Amino acid sequence: MTCDPQPPVPAARIAETDGQLVARTLGGDRAAFGFLVERYAASVRRVALAVLGDPDDADDTAQDALLAALTNLRQYDAARPFGPWLMRVVANAATDRRRRRRVRHTEPLDPRLAAGGVAPDAETQRRALGQRLREALAQLPERRRIAVVLFDVEGYSHAEIAHVLGIPEGTVRSEVFHARRALRPLLQDWKEHE
Amino acid sequence: MTQDNTPFDHRPDPLLGSALRQALAPGDESAFVAELMGSAERAGAASWDAVLARWARVGVAAAVIIVFVAGYVMRRSPATAASRLAPVADALLTPAAQGAELDVVLTSVMDD
Repeated sequence: MTCDPQPPVPAARIAETDGQLVARTLGGDRAAFGFLVERYAASVRRVALAVLGDPDDADDTAQDALLAALTNLRQYDAARPFGPWLMRVVANAATDRRRRRRVRHTEPLDPRLAAGGVAPDAETQRRALGQRLREALAQLPERRRIAVVLFDVEGYSHAEIAHVLGIPEGTVRSEVFHARRALRPLLQDWKEHE
Repeated sequence: MTQDNTPFDHRPDPLLGSALRQALAPGDESAFVAELMGSAERAGAASWDAVLARWARVGVAAAVIIVFVAGYVMRRSPATAASRLAPVADALLTPAAQGAELDVVLTSVMDD
């Protein structure tokens, strides 16, 4: 479980807002769409993976969702933030694929990790934790795992997540609460080794 | 968890967020972006092909209509009309038929 180093992003790209990039994309500038993709690719893939569990399925869905976003970009309301709109497209795409898939593909848990066996180093610990977290996420209702990933990983507000999921803000708080209660115990061992 | 070790906290949990971020770490981002942009280009090309194909279908349909209209107009052109009217004029001017034809014309005029 390693975090991929992100390539440095030129300052000019950072300076451009999502709205400016969307406007340029709508004007036919494919490079602007590329900047948007670079900005959101990691988040989109994480959310898709949280829903689907399988990295290949998640990447296929992320690709489909980003292409769908490009195709339907005129439907985006520039007065609202772009991220939640995109995440809604992604969440819907992932949910649709999961419904179609029927059989869930999850990586079998390494018996040594499942048994909490010998952990020779921190890297192994992190990989084991990642495996357990993915397994635990897979046990959560779909809406709950999207809510906790968008809130604690991607930093969206409850109101934005409510827009993404099409549910009341109070329900989002409840979903995040229940997801945390399920996931936090898994961090205890990791904390002790930090 | 770091600020408030309860699930009730309404602030993002950096520790849980970091652990989940690593657990859900995607693979090679540059390959993903390159593949996506290739798909976007192909989709764009495909959409242009579709537009051109639509235009081509419309063009063929328009050409067929133009051919029919042109044929109709050609058949209704003055030269053709004159050639069609010639036998009628000839018949009217023929002395043998003139009496009968004039009777028909005069009868219709009188009726009016």
